[in-house]
Amino acid sequence: MKTALRFRSQLTVAANGKAANAKSILAVLALGATGGTALRLSAEGDDASDALQALAGCVSGLIE
Amino acid sequence: MSNLVGIVLVSHSHELAHGLADLASQVAGAEVRVEPAGGGPDGSLGTSGDAVREAIARADSGQGVVVLADLGSSILTVRHLLEGKTNGHIRLVDAPFVEGAVAAAVMSSAGQSLEDVAKAAEEARGASKF
Repeated sequence: MKTALRFRSQLTVAANGKAANAKSILAVLALGATGGTALRLSAEGDDASDALQALAGCVSGLIE
Repeated sequence: MSNLVGIVLVSHSHELAHGLADLASQVAGAEVRVEPAGGGPDGSLGTSGDAVREAIARADSGQGVVVLADLGSSILTVRHLLEGKTNGHIRLVDAPFVEGAVAAAVMSSAGQSLEDVAKAAEEARGASKF
């Protein structure tokens, strides 16, 4: 989420059939994603491409 | 870290304030000052103006402090303490205690302003748990 706040784009993380604003910690926690859950990241805005790359880098480093 | 907004958690219960401070710090990271002020002067259930004042002093690194309180008279204790201090540097927010504390601590950890940290705590009211 700290990474997401650096970007202007609207960022969404989806898991378990739900979608959350990646800039809201409570929304992200409410996804109920645990280790091994598949996440779908999407971004809309002028820095969308950079934002997606940064977010993907964040979550791919997570172990649990 | 000295340039982050501090968080103070005022509860009638010593354990509740400390437990929530642990939780918020776990989520937000140790660099944010999350200071508990729970329980009365004698360790019973209650609130203590002195404890709140000390917690605010520990949390304050110059960027402002967001204060969350659990119920009823804990709000009055904080208000009484802040009376006359109207520069807005210490902000009592109307927010759910657990969600507001976590949201505020995370926003602070990202280096956000007092205004944005306070707003995140208050907006936690609208967040669904699932």
